Amino acid sequence: MADTTLNAIPRQENRFLKALASPLTVIGLVLVSIHLILALFAPVIAPYSISAIFTDGLTPPSPEHWMGTDQIGRDYFSRLMSGGRVALLVSAAGVVMAILAGTLLGMSAGYFGGWLDDVIMRFTDALMSIPELLLIAILVLTFGKDLWALTIIVAIVYTPGVIRVVRAKTLTIAALDYVRAAELRGEASWFILGREIAPNLLGILAVELAIRISAAVLKISALSFLGLGISQPTPDWGLMVQEAMSVVFTDAWFLVLPAIALSSLIIGINFTVDGLARAYGISSLETG
Amino acid sequence: MAHVAVRNLSVTFKSNGVDVAAVETVSFALERGETLGIVGESGSGKSTVARALLGFARPGARFANGSVHVGETDVLGLSPAALHDFRGGRAAMVPQNPLSSLTPHMTVGAQLVELIGLHGGETGKAAKDRALTLMDETNLPDPPTLFDRYPHEISGGQRQRVVIASALVARPELIVLDEPTTALDKSVEARVLELVRRVQQDLGATLIYVSHDLNVIAKMCARVMVMRSGKMVEEGATQQIFQSPNASYTRDLVRAIPGLNDGRHPMPQVGQSPVLKAENVSFGYALPGLFRKTGPLALRDVSLNLYPGQTLGIVGESGSGKSTLASLVAGAVAGHTGEIRLDDGTQLAGLAKRRSQTARRRVQMVFQDPLSSLNPALSIEDIITRPLRLYFGQTPAEARDAAIRLLAEMDLGPEFLPRRPRQLSGGQQQRVALARALAAEPDVLLCDEITSALDVTIQAQVLRLLRRLQDSRGLACLFITHDLAVVSQVAHSLLVLEGGEVRDFDDAGAVLAAPKSPYTRKLLSAYRAQERNSDPSAASQSDVLDAV
Repeated sequence: MADTTLNAIPRQENRFLKALASPLTVIGLVLVSIHLILALFAPVIAPYSISAIFTDGLTPPSPEHWMGTDQIGRDYFSRLMSGGRVALLVSAAGVVMAILAGTLLGMSAGYFGGWLDDVIMRFTDALMSIPELLLIAILVLTFGKDLWALTIIVAIVYTPGVIRVVRAKTLTIAALDYVRAAELRGEASWFILGREIAPNLLGILAVELAIRISAAVLKISALSFLGLGISQPTPDWGLMVQEAMSVVFTDAWFLVLPAIALSSLIIGINFTVDGLARAYGISSLETG
Repeated sequence: MAHVAVRNLSVTFKSNGVDVAAVETVSFALERGETLGIVGESGSGKSTVARALLGFARPGARFANGSVHVGETDVLGLSPAALHDFRGGRAAMVPQNPLSSLTPHMTVGAQLVELIGLHGGETGKAAKDRALTLMDETNLPDPPTLFDRYPHEISGGQRQRVVIASALVARPELIVLDEPTTALDKSVEARVLELVRRVQQDLGATLIYVSHDLNVIAKMCARVMVMRSGKMVEEGATQQIFQSPNASYTRDLVRAIPGLNDGRHPMPQVGQSPVLKAENVSFGYALPGLFRKTGPLALRDVSLNLYPGQTLGIVGESGSGKSTLASLVAGAVAGHTGEIRLDDGTQLAGLAKRRSQTARRRVQMVFQDPLSSLNPALSIEDIITRPLRLYFGQTPAEARDAAIRLLAEMDLGPEFLPRRPRQLSGGQQQRVALARALAAEPDVLLCDEITSALDVTIQAQVLRLLRRLQDSRGLACLFITHDLAVVSQVAHSLLVLEGGEVRDFDDAGAVLAAPKSPYTRKLLSAYRAQERNSDPSAASQSDVLDAV
């Protein structure tokens, strides 16, 4: 019997190219690329060092200093370029840790069920019942605010969300016949989790990763603004906004520039995630 | 002038930048009140034609050529707003899956009332009365109660009737049904078909019925159009097409309809001792709660013998316990009383994970839905080689060679190894699932409704394959199905279950010719009645005319 049906099935279209058909996705990708390049190479690209002092106070934009100098007299453009590095690094590292921990705990809760599910989920509910910013503030006051502490704090804050999403998806997958086939075959639990279930989580985990990083960057910036996060002399957008508060009526660009930098990163990530998720058929419902 | 006229319709969709034709130059015309069935395998373009009648194109698809007229209206030329009024107004569609066409968070009644407001104009109390009338007309039981139910709270047949009711809101002149009964039980299907026929006659509407099920088409439609790979193969009066098909493809299609008297193959030499033996097995699912109470028995006192090389058909309606029996043997559920033994004396009690590796290897299962039984993230190679590596400790290279041989046995080439399940058709998926089961070199193969998700021609292919494998490997097989025609083609013996109890257990020939229990007799006569109404190869001319 000839397999004519196979030829009738169209080959999978290149989904990435499909995503690029949407202008919003392209804008998002461009923004994210710019921010990634800045995060990686800002010290090399920037015209001046972030700590060198040129004037004795605020100066408006000039040919030497395109965005002027800040209160201490440092080049504002160079500091702005580096202003997202620490927040992005801490967020990315912390969220990766959250994804790893959340996937392990979420899959276990969803697949094994029973008392393990109860313990993990009640713990998750407890953490999620505290407002995120408040939880971060409490943890910062407890663990301090060096980079490692901030990274761990981001991990702790974002793990519960990942657990929920992964558990829900695991429940759906565990009910499918291929998991039952693996059980009947006598596969070990680690094999079923790692080989049968985990590969099917990659799509939503990629979306989780991007969304949570953008949320974490925002939280870290808010923290810096409140004086609980990154502190001088490290340049940081949240911190720069906070410093600009005192001169907001006289030199507004001081506040506007870091705000634009921060928003463009968040908007870029969100547009990119939306576009890719749509192209790869990952519904936003699944990502909670 | 024809009521529905389709001329040279072509629909294309883009695949990797190239236009691929889904439908090519299809033409037909229907007078008002006529009924046309469109048959074909999946991918034949039959649904695409049906959608085009309402001006729908799948995302990415495009009407490349041709026209669709309903009455005076040029459907493909309508503005979006006019199209919106046309659909649900003059033309209505009943899709395959009723659950996805109802809004989950609105009650059934609220959805009908909303539609009535949109198309009929009544509001408030009058709209509710109209909805209740519609529900009554579509034979929904106790309309006032069902009115306040959510879609997930009613049965599949009821949902489909709600969708039909909503299609009738504006008293359409054209009704398009796209496989409306595929997801339903046989008995429910009969009731839905009856309803559709009555409604069509009441409204004097033109009816287009898309299905892969020739029996249903023969019952419902005076005319039929056969489609394959986007092209029209044949079109004409149902009776004529089915009794003397011109195209060879149509002949294949008609021949592939399983009938009760079809190809029942003779009993092989039965060995001395059964490979699987069940004695007085009773089982009830545990109720949720602390005290491990058992619910009503799903199986009661079931005994059976399965010999090497034998296929034992287990027949029953849904809820008869036939799948529970397979789950017990496979170790998906546990806790029965009585004994299930393999020929080496191994007790098949407890869950699969508590059994020995050998006991697990010797019993393999093939599931109903081939897509959900194959992991979409793995390649066909990963899927088939896994049992070889797990049970026989083969190296990747050995397992790969063995997988290629297994695929060849399934009439699939080595080019399938790197593919993913979703790139395969339903029949190919089911053959991969069979290959995975056979990789373990089982002695007992459990087949749980393995053909019910497949088209008739593909179903016939898989059944032929199964018979051949069994002859060449001496495999014993528990074949679970609700379809008497299918089981009569493969089974040497039959066990009929009703409510968890054995009603008949004997050679297939004996059970089919002279059933002992009244239940089996009822089952058979229901089947024969349906066959007489619809199987064109067995039915006389007048019978077919009666049916249409």
